[in-house]
Amino acid sequence: MEVTLRVHELSFRYGGHPVLDRLSFAINRGDFVGIIGPNGSGKTTLLKNMAALLSPEGGAILLEGRSLETWSRRELGRQMAFVQQRENSGFNFLVEEVVAMGRNPYLSRLQGLRREDREAIDRALSLTGCHHLRERELFALSGGERQRVALARALAQETPLILLDEPTTFLDLGYQVEIMELLHSLNSREKITLVLVMHDLNLAARYCQKLMLLHQGRIYAWGSPAEVLTEDNILEVYRLKVLVEPHPLEGTPQVIPIATPEGAPRMDGRQRVHIIGGGGSAGPIIKELYLEGFSLSIGVLSAGDSDWSTARRFGLELVEEAPFTAISEKRYRENLALISRAGAVVVAPFYVGPGNYLNLEAAWTALARGKPVFLLDEPPMASRDFTGGRGEALFRKLIREGAILLEAPDGEAIRRRMAGRGSND
Amino acid sequence: MRGRRTAAIIFLALAGGAVILLATGIGAASVSPGEVLRVFGEALGFLEPGSSSTSYTIIWKIRLPRVLLGFLIGASLAAAGAAFQGLLQNPLADPYTLGVSSGAALGAMLGILFLPGSGFSWQLAVPLCGFLGALLALFIVYQLGRVGGRLPVTTVLLAGVVVSSFFSALISLTMILAGQQLRSVFFWIAGGLGMRGWKYVLPVLPYFGAGLLVLLYFSRDLNLILLGEEAALSMGVEVERVKRAVLVTASLVTAGAVSVSGMIGFVGLIVPHALRILVGPDHRFLLPFSALGGGIFLVLADTFARTVMAPVEIPVGVITAFVGAPFFLLLLRRHREKYRF
Repeated sequence: MEVTLRVHELSFRYGGHPVLDRLSFAINRGDFVGIIGPNGSGKTTLLKNMAALLSPEGGAILLEGRSLETWSRRELGRQMAFVQQRENSGFNFLVEEVVAMGRNPYLSRLQGLRREDREAIDRALSLTGCHHLRERELFALSGGERQRVALARALAQETPLILLDEPTTFLDLGYQVEIMELLHSLNSREKITLVLVMHDLNLAARYCQKLMLLHQGRIYAWGSPAEVLTEDNILEVYRLKVLVEPHPLEGTPQVIPIATPEGAPRMDGRQRVHIIGGGGSAGPIIKELYLEGFSLSIGVLSAGDSDWSTARRFGLELVEEAPFTAISEKRYRENLALISRAGAVVVAPFYVGPGNYLNLEAAWTALARGKPVFLLDEPPMASRDFTGGRGEALFRKLIREGAILLEAPDGEAIRRRMAGRGSND
Repeated sequence: MRGRRTAAIIFLALAGGAVILLATGIGAASVSPGEVLRVFGEALGFLEPGSSSTSYTIIWKIRLPRVLLGFLIGASLAAAGAAFQGLLQNPLADPYTLGVSSGAALGAMLGILFLPGSGFSWQLAVPLCGFLGALLALFIVYQLGRVGGRLPVTTVLLAGVVVSSFFSALISLTMILAGQQLRSVFFWIAGGLGMRGWKYVLPVLPYFGAGLLVLLYFSRDLNLILLGEEAALSMGVEVERVKRAVLVTASLVTAGAVSVSGMIGFVGLIVPHALRILVGPDHRFLLPFSALGGGIFLVLADTFARTVMAPVEIPVGVITAFVGAPFFLLLLRRHREKYRF
């Protein structure tokens, strides 16, 4: 792979305060790179150094093997374009006037637009789908249109490299995806090398081939989205406990925030709760009780289902059964063993069929042995019973015999009841 | 937009000619436009002398230089205003609000008081003193108004107000210290176009003409800078060089005007705004159009100033403020969606 931009031991300070600390990396031709990191990690400063809008204090940046300082502004304007976070538009130009400005590096001061310039402008307008906007005034555009025009202006520069500073930050979800799709097609079809500063980790993971995670002015991780966006990396850099799940359609890592370490799990282990669930019904309960600091176990789950993966991520003790297999006697007993160690049982609103009827049985056994049992019934049992009424009957019996119906997974309520009953055995 | 530009330039050119013609005719002794044209013809040697010597004196010796001077001053201030607004990306900038006018006035006044000699070279040298004063004022505003490498609209205006007051105080002080020459200086500083013969018109011309050409030379760079300095840099503009050149040139043009007419406010602020609405923000058009519009505006204002309460003459600066402030507000309200500060 051919290197186009090489950053070597780059350092930068703002008013004596170090922002970038000896960064080294290379951007290859055709790359689609996202620079991520929390506020103040130096993302934008790095991008502006690469764009020659700031000059490094230490180290060097080489474009096509030549130090940036040795390039003239006009030469640079033909090599790389820069798109700001929010294009300044205090004065009301027409769209085509703005896009035509991208031709500046090719024109001398008193020269008008030539045919090749008009062609480049046309091409930039079509690639970004801005053709119909060309006679419109800048102020009359929506945020998404304005960002597309900014991109068209950069494309009119006909540079092999475009740097973008948070191109999606001020856009709503629809425009965010639209801009990212557009960048994706520019990268794959037009072979334009792209370097973006991104705030949205999920968009970055979905569209960028490579991510650079900055932390306090240094590269913390640098590689494919799967390599960079790990739960550990994000906990360390963002001070945030997250789940990383594959995107259901793309398979790229998607980050789901749970809590900051300050607001989270005390996990004292004294108050132990067992959850009965499956098929994704237990997710909200796991999260709530985890954050409330309970020590948790769960069972019996079908291996690979979404409750199963959530439980594993949160480190719950669990009993699992092979996928698409009815709960065996052995697993049922293991589940009862976990229940006996818990101070209470919470039954998630799971769908009940012949294969997992034993999970409801386990709840009944717990109640019969004197454990407090909490039920969640949204959606209502009648709609999730596929056992021909057996499940619903057992559910009613649970309520009759003293199981407690909860409106929502409420850790505080569970804690109160457990305290009232005296918890562990 | 292109059709609109052509229409605008034809309209403004015709309006300019008509305004000069009419303004020259209007006054205590009214002269018809035909008579005015006749005197022009005689003075330029196209026609045999035939008009009365009084109307020749009134028109050629008194009114026409005043009207042309007004035109040049208005054109200078408006062109400088357009350049300042574009370069600083600040819709409220003009020579007056930036304190450049007061700097120029102080410099020019010191020149008038202390420069030895007389004659045309003296006339040309006074604006250079004004230019130094303008540069000094601009430098101070630039340093005061800068916040972390940027020039925010508000801090620049505040700095402009401060510098303006300070220089005005210096002007007052100098006037008092100057003693016997107080009267002549006072007339000049109040901002007016009265009692200025041909010898005042010619020195303004080179500053305005050369200045406008230089500003036009940088007009595409100015357009790019309107998108933001970083954007301009990334499109190949040597921003710092352009900035220096344009600021110095606009100060020179301002100084050329202020040295002759004193401080006249609002022209440089309103006129570029009005024309931006008419022809768009592209400086290749905006700069010459602003000059034309500024000329017309100031000639109209001055004609009004000397006729409305005749024989008392109102300083033209009062008129520009009276007309300018409400007009500016009106523009602001009507085009609120277009001018976000």
